[in-house]
Amino acid sequence: MTPKPAMFRKVLIANRGEIACRIAATLREMGIRSVAVYSAADRGALHVRTADQAHEIGAAEPQASYLNIEALIAAARASGAEAIHPGYGFLAENAEFASATEAAGLAFIGPAPDQIRALGDKREAREIAKRAGVPVVPGATGSSAAELSKAAAKLGFPLLVKAALGGGGKGMRVVGNAAALAEAIESATRVAASAFGDGAIYLERHIERPRHIEVQIVGDGVGGAIHLLERECSLQRRHQKVIEECPSPAVDNALRERLTSAAVALAKSVRYRGAGTVEFLLAPDGAFYFLEMNTRLQVEHPVTELVTGIDLVRLQIEIAAGGKLPGQSAIERRGHAIEARIYAEDAARGFLPQAGTLVRVRWPRAPFVRVDRGVESGDPVPVHYDPILAKVIAAGVNRDAALLRLSGALDDTLAHGVVTNLPFVRALVRSGEVARGAYDTEWIEREFLPDFTALVTAPAPEAALAAAALAELLRASLATDGAPGAAAAPDPFTALGRWRQGGPG
Amino acid sequence: MRTDWRDGDRARAVEASALGGSRYLVSVDGAPMEVAAERLPDGRLVIETPTGHFVAEVSPAGTRRFVRLDALEFVLDLESGGRRRGPRSSSGGLEAPMPGVVTRVMVAGGDEVSAGQPLLALEAMKMEHVIRSPRAGTVKSVLARVGEMVAGGRGLVELEPDATDAG
Repeated sequence: MTPKPAMFRKVLIANRGEIACRIAATLREMGIRSVAVYSAADRGALHVRTADQAHEIGAAEPQASYLNIEALIAAARASGAEAIHPGYGFLAENAEFASATEAAGLAFIGPAPDQIRALGDKREAREIAKRAGVPVVPGATGSSAAELSKAAAKLGFPLLVKAALGGGGKGMRVVGNAAALAEAIESATRVAASAFGDGAIYLERHIERPRHIEVQIVGDGVGGAIHLLERECSLQRRHQKVIEECPSPAVDNALRERLTSAAVALAKSVRYRGAGTVEFLLAPDGAFYFLEMNTRLQVEHPVTELVTGIDLVRLQIEIAAGGKLPGQSAIERRGHAIEARIYAEDAARGFLPQAGTLVRVRWPRAPFVRVDRGVESGDPVPVHYDPILAKVIAAGVNRDAALLRLSGALDDTLAHGVVTNLPFVRALVRSGEVARGAYDTEWIEREFLPDFTALVTAPAPEAALAAAALAELLRASLATDGAPGAAAAPDPFTALGRWRQGGPG
Repeated sequence: MRTDWRDGDRARAVEASALGGSRYLVSVDGAPMEVAAERLPDGRLVIETPTGHFVAEVSPAGTRRFVRLDALEFVLDLESGGRRRGPRSSSGGLEAPMPGVVTRVMVAGGDEVSAGQPLLALEAMKMEHVIRSPRAGTVKSVLARVGEMVAGGRGLVELEPDATDAG
């Protein structure tokens, strides 16, 4: 029998918002003390209130605080933490931060720095996938027009033409046929040369109407790896996921076997350590292609947790402390789970991010509904960070039950004071295509948004204006008819709302 | 009591008066209707209009009123008497469309600008928003500086339209 590894006694969470709160919850359950860090804009934030202790690390700007490696390591040392959990975003996929953590004698709850570096480089990750036998989107590089047209004929159309060195889609074009290729290559070469100083072109087969399917994997760092099923994340707006679920309605058992085997093979080939996600594009013909690997906990990890019963944060911590992986046979699939992300953004005005104070928030409470949230009533939403406020997740015995429950939970959610995407996600979960699982990564923008935008920019119904006006009238009459000094009393609705939240039930 | 509202790009007006008991006469944009309204102990309003029965929750936040009507959400801006704002379009995008941090100021007082020319940039939550000149003119003054945090609706640039050739 191998002795049980020593568990950390204190862990620093290098993040904020809902994910910092969620990590603290697992630490509490494990009997590990949690250390929060916060910027000047986050004093008194929920993640600070819920941790066992907290350290201010810098000014509001992320570069000065949540991206400030030196300040984070110093806070970890000062607090006596033995490990750092990076959450997602910020420094979660920063190899330099992982190295600095380990150099300071602390455990990094995530992959080894060289794994973060290798898998974070898109071209290198593609090579790693190829070597592990994982299909990648067919592509070719070249510099001369003749070379490129020959490659194009082999790849087939439609094709994506882009700068070999580029990122972010600069100068990227979709070409439908051979006739249009020469002109596209010429213009892409020009863009590539001026923007990147290198005219080399990358051609890639363009997968039309793909779905985004990802596989959750966990590795032990010494060559063992298991998967925790797939997630379906095709409901996106401008590559930002909105609604995610586990399992995918588009994946049957045979396809699941192929997808998860590919992901596990990739993880094993690099002796991956910790939790990671292998993302794939699934073409309408059932072929799938490696997209990228995320070397961190994903925003959407709760749907996997609700279906497998495995706490991924706990597993991450146990592996970082030298613990063992559960066997693949211990991972079971039970029912279905769907998540909606709640963002502070205004769907009626181009999804502009919003900031301000959430004067009144009410999260749903119901059986089989989980809420991972970073704010409560009265909390500010600062301008400096990602506008995610919370995730509402519902589980059910099957997809229909989970979707219905999520719809009810979103109706029971209230967030006033800052405009949120609640109307957007409520409308999404009610749409027929979502009920049938019939969508791809471009469906929201192509088909859903035009109707939705028309709906949310239409005039408010008379009843809404009547309600707003009557609230003012009642407020004014309360102020004049009430007890002496009533005029200075707080707004009755705010006051009652707060009283109600403090009350039982 | 008359209240004026901004509903997206529209100006809406409501006249509400008590008829006694829980009944009110409410005119929205001049169309009168009788409404029954009752406040629940938790602050929500149960209202009955000729078009139906609703549970409403109204939360004030500054001049904004967040109105939830059953599971629908509306955000209305209460316009105070005398200081009514013009339609957003007339302010020409020279106000901050959202709260944010000014990241770039590309013009200075006295500069001549053309329609569509970038004037300054705001960043909020990893998104940059460029404020462009709605018309040709001369910058009278720039009201914000780089690094400054501004509230939504805050004036950023004062612009004088081009003087016509009036000799």
